[in-house]
Amino acid sequence: MSPQRANQLIEAGLWLRLSGDMRGAQRLFERALQLDPGNTRAKEYLEAAVAALSAGSVTPFSPPPADVVPLPAQVLGRMAPATPSLDGDWGAWAEGQGGPPEGASWKTPAPVYLPEVPGGSRVDAMELLAREDDSDEPQVFALPDNDTQEYGVPRGDTQEYGVPPADGELELLLRGAEDLLELDDHSGAVDLLFKAQELAPGDPRVEALRQRSERMLMAMLESKLGDLGRVPRVRLQPDDIIWLNLDHRAGFVLAQIDGAVSYEDLFALSGMTRLDTARILAQLLDEGVITAG
Amino acid sequence: MAEAEPLIGIDLGTTNSIVATVQDGQPIVIKNRTGLALTPSVVAVSKNAKRLVGSIAKRQAITNPQETVYAVKRLIGRKFSSHEVQNALRSLPYEVVAGQHDDLRVRMGGRDLSVPELSAMILQELKADAEAHFGRPVSKAVITVPAYFNDAQRQATKDAGRIAGLEVLRIINEPTAAALAYGFGRTVNGRVAVLDLGGGTFDVSVLEINQGVFDVVATGGDTYLGGEDWDNRIIEWLVFGFAKEHGIDLRKDRMALQRLKDAAEKAKVELSSVREAQLNLPFISTPPGGGAALHLQSTLTRDKLDDLTNDLAERVVGITTEVLGEASVRPSELKEVILVGGMSRMPKIVEAVRGYFRREPCKGVHPEEVVALGAAIQAHALVEQESELLLLDVTPQSLGVAIAGGSVKRIIPKNTTVPTSATEVFATSKDFQHTVKIMVLQGEHELAHQNELLGEFVLTGLREAPRGKVEIDVTFDINAEGIVSVSAKDRDTGLRQSITVTASSGLTEEELQRIMEEQREYLMAARISDELKTKRMELDSLARDVVDALTRARLLPGGGGLGPDAVPRAEQALEHARRVRENEDVGSLARACELLSGSLTQLRKPGPGGMGR
Repeated sequence: MSPQRANQLIEAGLWLRLSGDMRGAQRLFERALQLDPGNTRAKEYLEAAVAALSAGSVTPFSPPPADVVPLPAQVLGRMAPATPSLDGDWGAWAEGQGGPPEGASWKTPAPVYLPEVPGGSRVDAMELLAREDDSDEPQVFALPDNDTQEYGVPRGDTQEYGVPPADGELELLLRGAEDLLELDDHSGAVDLLFKAQELAPGDPRVEALRQRSERMLMAMLESKLGDLGRVPRVRLQPDDIIWLNLDHRAGFVLAQIDGAVSYEDLFALSGMTRLDTARILAQLLDEGVITAG
Repeated sequence: MAEAEPLIGIDLGTTNSIVATVQDGQPIVIKNRTGLALTPSVVAVSKNAKRLVGSIAKRQAITNPQETVYAVKRLIGRKFSSHEVQNALRSLPYEVVAGQHDDLRVRMGGRDLSVPELSAMILQELKADAEAHFGRPVSKAVITVPAYFNDAQRQATKDAGRIAGLEVLRIINEPTAAALAYGFGRTVNGRVAVLDLGGGTFDVSVLEINQGVFDVVATGGDTYLGGEDWDNRIIEWLVFGFAKEHGIDLRKDRMALQRLKDAAEKAKVELSSVREAQLNLPFISTPPGGGAALHLQSTLTRDKLDDLTNDLAERVVGITTEVLGEASVRPSELKEVILVGGMSRMPKIVEAVRGYFRREPCKGVHPEEVVALGAAIQAHALVEQESELLLLDVTPQSLGVAIAGGSVKRIIPKNTTVPTSATEVFATSKDFQHTVKIMVLQGEHELAHQNELLGEFVLTGLREAPRGKVEIDVTFDINAEGIVSVSAKDRDTGLRQSITVTASSGLTEEELQRIMEEQREYLMAARISDELKTKRMELDSLARDVVDALTRARLLPGGGGLGPDAVPRAEQALEHARRVRENEDVGSLARACELLSGSLTQLRKPGPGGMGR
């Protein structure tokens, strides 16, 4: 069971890496290695993730370096490599802006295979808060051994000469999102659900899950920001700021932080959704660009 | 001794507003809760449906243009069909629709709001700032308006005050307030020019001050010339430079445009005191094909700004010449020239005014604050009954009736102290005229149709006689509340007809009452919402602490000596918190916080000897 779970964790880690969450990916590779210490893929990917993070080249604001993009385009088939605008711009993912240009032949890559949540029950933010951290191995991967292949692409889902039906893809995305939620990766779940929404606009399951995951993600981000009445401040000097790797949306939010406006004010004046703004602010905080006030 | 009730003076501007008071005998500006004197006259509903007022609303104006309302002063008290409103609509990004009585409504946040309601939001903000300053409620204010405002516009401003929960003691003219702040009521007898170059308008007024009586003898200007024009020139210059360097038009990106606007205004202000300003806008644009975001870095000198805006300074002088010319006032006749408005601090403007009037304009009072300070002085004088500073309540514009030939016969000239009464005798203009139509007009124009029609009525049953033989007395009465009664009486028959004209803002009393009720409800809901938000944050924080404490307790051997019920109680408290978190009831959230807090205390204080309570 452990090697199988390790493989699935690796696949989930690859997903996170694709969406720019290198730290999340690192965490999953480490867990995979704990479960299956001899797993060479886990070691390999973990080393790559650690190297990328220690080089400081991968931040939520910058695309992952080419050498850590896991799959070459020809192997991915329908999974085109992530475009630069997708990689760095988290907020853009959430709002559906800044993604691949319209009409581009970008397709949603198949997510990791993850099982149904037992009983289909849902947890909310408070339950997550209350969840014990010392639980056994997470009960989130329960696929047959032969269900995955190297590079994390589920065998059954990839067709050499064709694209699988959208319904199947939607199911994969939904399950992937649920499983990412189980892994506390709400950001990844939201990303998947936006893709799911593109595939099936108006699907009530997608909508419900998206709302729930957004709520949870928002709660987590707000919790990270703390008291939203506080006034954040920029820590860096203007000369240092220009060397950061930010996109124009993060640049806009940063420009609004003037030592007078609170987090709550920033949500109002950013012109973006609350979630996008919270993501950018949380990342600016994580990167040490701003202080909480 | 009970403290005197706080009084405030408000300069309710087109672009910015200021509140002031008299404290320990000195007029002072009350800074807003962000520490600034100016509060932008901007209201908005943000994307998360929150009402924004002031600088926050202004800072998202470009990224949220349809839901951001500014410059409502250009619309207040006007009719939808008026030339001024139709003209304004061409440049306003927000939606304005016609009301039921040719009044106008602004669509914001999915609702159609009257202009006084929107102005009231700004007044409410200023009132709240004043209350924060005094630490107690404020309910009385003097508000300033441009000298050219008619009765409807003044009444609409008063209505805005009522909606905001203020008793408007007096509406006074902005140039008069400026002159009061300079102490001219005591020291100057003669003519004074007031040039008010604000964010969006330029008003020129000439006051005749005589023994403390302020008479506006000339007023004019351009309602579309102000600081924003200077900002736009800087923006154009920056956009052009960036496009030349990178081939990107920043105006197409709202976020970039918002930053350009903020930076341009800041640079313009800086250049009034220093000779060059740096404009640094990092990460202003991401190239269309992707790649690293681009920075905009530039230096603007005062000379360059003067170059870019030379024609605007010339317009200021041109308009001033025009207004003084129309009033037949020579610059040399003026005792003083007062500069008002933030833009008048710009050295180029000071130089242009000095060149035109051949005298140094008045300095000493901050040009942005002077009007509010004057209003505060007047509010103080009204309550303290300082007669030498007490402005008399006067008719802002002349009142009269339309006469044959389409012209106007003035019966009560402007600046007449109220209450007042005047009677004029008219005669029929046609042979055997049976009826006469009395059209009550307000304004200074010679032609009837160029004035504001306040009301009309018909006197019938006149005696049959050749023209000029039937005489009719027309009497105008204005009471202390500014209510105008007009009556017409046939001298022979004694037949009488009359009309009462109350200046109307476009809102009926019922509408006004409803809006006031809604405002009260809104304020109440906002307060509850704030309380809910605070309680939820407290709940989340406590829940996190309880989870941490539970985790620690589980890791420790023997549960760290906790009592047997500590863990289940904490879990129950967490479960309860989870259930009530989304409730809209502050009380239940407070109870959940108490439970969590109690659990936390239990988890952190195990009983002696490893035995918890």
